Amino acid sequence: MIRESYRQKSENDLLKASLDGDKQAFGEIVTRYQNMVARTIKGMLGDSVFSEDIGQEVFIKLYHSLSDFRGEAKLSTYIQKIAVNLTLNEIKRRKRFFSTFSQKGNNEMHEFEVADHDTEVRKDASELVSKALMRMDPKFRIIVAMRMLQGYSTKETAEILDLPLGTVLSRLSRAQEQLKSILGKL
Amino acid sequence: MKVTDFKELLIRSLDSESDPVTTSAKIEEAGATFRFSDGFRDKVLEKIYTSGSAVVSEVEFARNLNSVFYRIAFSGAAAIVILLISIFMIQGSFSIDSFLGLGDSYDESIICLLTGN
Repeated sequence: MIRESYRQKSENDLLKASLDGDKQAFGEIVTRYQNMVARTIKGMLGDSVFSEDIGQEVFIKLYHSLSDFRGEAKLSTYIQKIAVNLTLNEIKRRKRFFSTFSQKGNNEMHEFEVADHDTEVRKDASELVSKALMRMDPKFRIIVAMRMLQGYSTKETAEILDLPLGTVLSRLSRAQEQLKSILGKL
Repeated sequence: MKVTDFKELLIRSLDSESDPVTTSAKIEEAGATFRFSDGFRDKVLEKIYTSGSAVVSEVEFARNLNSVFYRIAFSGAAAIVILLISIFMIQGSFSIDSFLGLGDSYDESIICLLTGN
């Protein structure tokens, strides 16, 4: 009943209430944006326990920076930026870890069984996407995750990643080439 | 959707002319969904509001510690003032000798004191 009333509240009302310490209001923000954050993080890191931890970290960071949010950008963009930054940090951390302790690269971290080409993809679609993304260069991976999984336009992607539009377009085209080659081998 | 068609869809989704919203919806419809586990919201809230109370108690502890330091500092300063006053009353001056308790001693008497002669 209480949760239902929060569902109808506007984003601004939820933000104000969260700043006043309303736990349920912030909970509604988490509910609204958790799938969006999951697509970004799991798209870039694969489906692991770490993805969930980083997802939690995104919202904790959001909570602590609520007073800094001035509403100049959309809340979704603000949350996406936090998610992207934390995920990129994790990718860097993993790279350092694997280069220090193992000969295996980042690409070998996730191994999945993918269905035959003629079978229905439904059951394995997420795995196929994850596997393809994990084999991509991280700088392309993030662009692909934004476009393919979040449905962001080139302009929105550029805004979230703080990149010039031209860079996003050229990376998108190179990412498409790389994806074609990766999917051909899967 | 067959795997080959799905792969085609993934590649097409990166076309600059394609509509990203429609394509990503189709990809999700085909089964590529990424979600956090059940109870994610509650875990986040628990972490935020539990650590929040921890922060509050840390701040309270720091404040209490500060007030303890102030009390110690004030009583220390008061003790130093009383000591200075008592030295001045006993020795009659604030010279180094007075502080060392040698105000009314002569070199000879110190030598006698040290040698026992």
